[in-house]
Amino acid sequence: MPVAPRPLTVALALCLGWAAAVTAEEETEIGEILAIEGDPEYGEYLSSECTTCHQASGSDAIPAIVGWPQEAFVVALHGYKSGQRSHPAMQMIAGRLSDEEIAALAAYFGTLAP
Amino acid sequence: MSFNRRAFIGTAAAAATLRAPMVRAGSHGKPRVVVVGGGAGGATAARYIAKDSAGEIDVTLIEPSRSYYTCFFSNLYIGGFRTIESIAHSYGTLASDYGINVVHDWATGVDRAAKSVALAGGGRVPYDRLILSPGIDFVAGSVAGWDLTSQNAMPHAYKGGSQTELLKAQILAMPEGGTFVMVAPPNPYRCPPGPYERVSMVAHVLKQSNPTAKIIIADSKANFSKQGLFEAGWEAHYPGMITRIGPDFGGENVTVNPAEMTVDIDGEVIEAAACNVIPAQKAGHIADLAGVTEGNWAPVNAVDMSSKVDPEIHVLGDSAAQGDMPKSGFSANSQAKVCANAVRGALTGSRVFPARFSNTCWSLIDADDGVKVGATYEATEEKIARIDGFVSQTGEDAATRKATYEESLGWYDAITSDMFG
Repeated sequence: MPVAPRPLTVALALCLGWAAAVTAEEETEIGEILAIEGDPEYGEYLSSECTTCHQASGSDAIPAIVGWPQEAFVVALHGYKSGQRSHPAMQMIAGRLSDEEIAALAAYFGTLAP
Repeated sequence: MSFNRRAFIGTAAAAATLRAPMVRAGSHGKPRVVVVGGGAGGATAARYIAKDSAGEIDVTLIEPSRSYYTCFFSNLYIGGFRTIESIAHSYGTLASDYGINVVHDWATGVDRAAKSVALAGGGRVPYDRLILSPGIDFVAGSVAGWDLTSQNAMPHAYKGGSQTELLKAQILAMPEGGTFVMVAPPNPYRCPPGPYERVSMVAHVLKQSNPTAKIIIADSKANFSKQGLFEAGWEAHYPGMITRIGPDFGGENVTVNPAEMTVDIDGEVIEAAACNVIPAQKAGHIADLAGVTEGNWAPVNAVDMSSKVDPEIHVLGDSAAQGDMPKSGFSANSQAKVCANAVRGALTGSRVFPARFSNTCWSLIDADDGVKVGATYEATEEKIARIDGFVSQTGEDAATRKATYEESLGWYDAITSDMFG
């Protein structure tokens, strides 16, 4: 029986595809964020800024962001922060997140079931 | 796990979050939070406090309406892009899933010494912390000839619900070639692009049903939100239909006559087939009754949205004088989460994190032609201060504009879930 690709798999594939184009410097930065143990309680507070636009179920134009593997989440936010990913609102929101805050968000969202 | 220096400094900073002095309830059991106003500020604050305190705080939400019609997206209803039912929301989930005591009544007074809120239906609701999020009321006498008794002839339609339905009916009933007149509000007011998105939606309807109709805007402001984007859109989609009379041509010198359905703009009398008067605005009346306003608005401390008059009262959204944020549903929702975190910390000793705010306002100019403006903000000693922002550009391609509109649909579903559960 053919199986439809799960959204999570697609998201991860997109991230990995994109990750192939990152520079060594960016890879180091992403590694530094992943090395931080995120504070999920702070992440929950920070996540309230995300939920104004991102529903748990996602929508046609705004994806769901719960249940992502931490690495994919960090790669995505780092991409917006560095300007590699283009979306004005996400660049603005990610632009003021510190590495610790990205780690906190990844830790929190990673705990939620998609 | 490896720690580098940057990570260590950042973690130390994150750990140094404020711990507010804990105020546990004394003789009356659990600490009590009362929220007045069930819109983007109040419903969000009530939901977050109830959700995050997990039963440690009693939350009462006082809101007269059983169905809440969002003011945001009400223009899309006027334009025919939404039904009225699709912008109506119930408080049922807040009561059933979050344990919030939803009281459908008017708050008629606040006794700050006794720390209680009086209800129109009788009785008082005591509080340890009070959150006021009553939206807007109108400044009496701000448009010559108009008062609340005129709102059937010349609706404001600036609070969602029946007024919006009335205005739409009047637009659809306009005679062929008739004139729609809008009296635009002076700053500051709810939803800065709102009047101009509304004009766009009225034009969208008239272009189909009444293409020789005209739209006139009398405006006391020299400039308005997203002006370049709206004016370029009007020229592209509705050429020759919309005329804005700014202060340089007497747009601030307006008298309306609701009985005759005429509008006098700087001496020129216009017969209006439909007229939308959006008066000057001020904080919802309960903020006045609570004695926390100075002038038209209630000044607040940016760090936790507490009133500068009474630290046990917080004011959210349109009613607050907070600094740089526009008065919008998104702003109120953002402020509510900062406030909820601070109030919960004060009452139960939970962790309080630094305030952070953001806002985005989407507007629809015509079908699939959406634009947006947004910014991030931080709390300073003085006010909520803008950090950074973005705005749609004139000349963007159709795919970008369509994507922006579709994004606004996702946002609407998300923010209303964030408010009402």
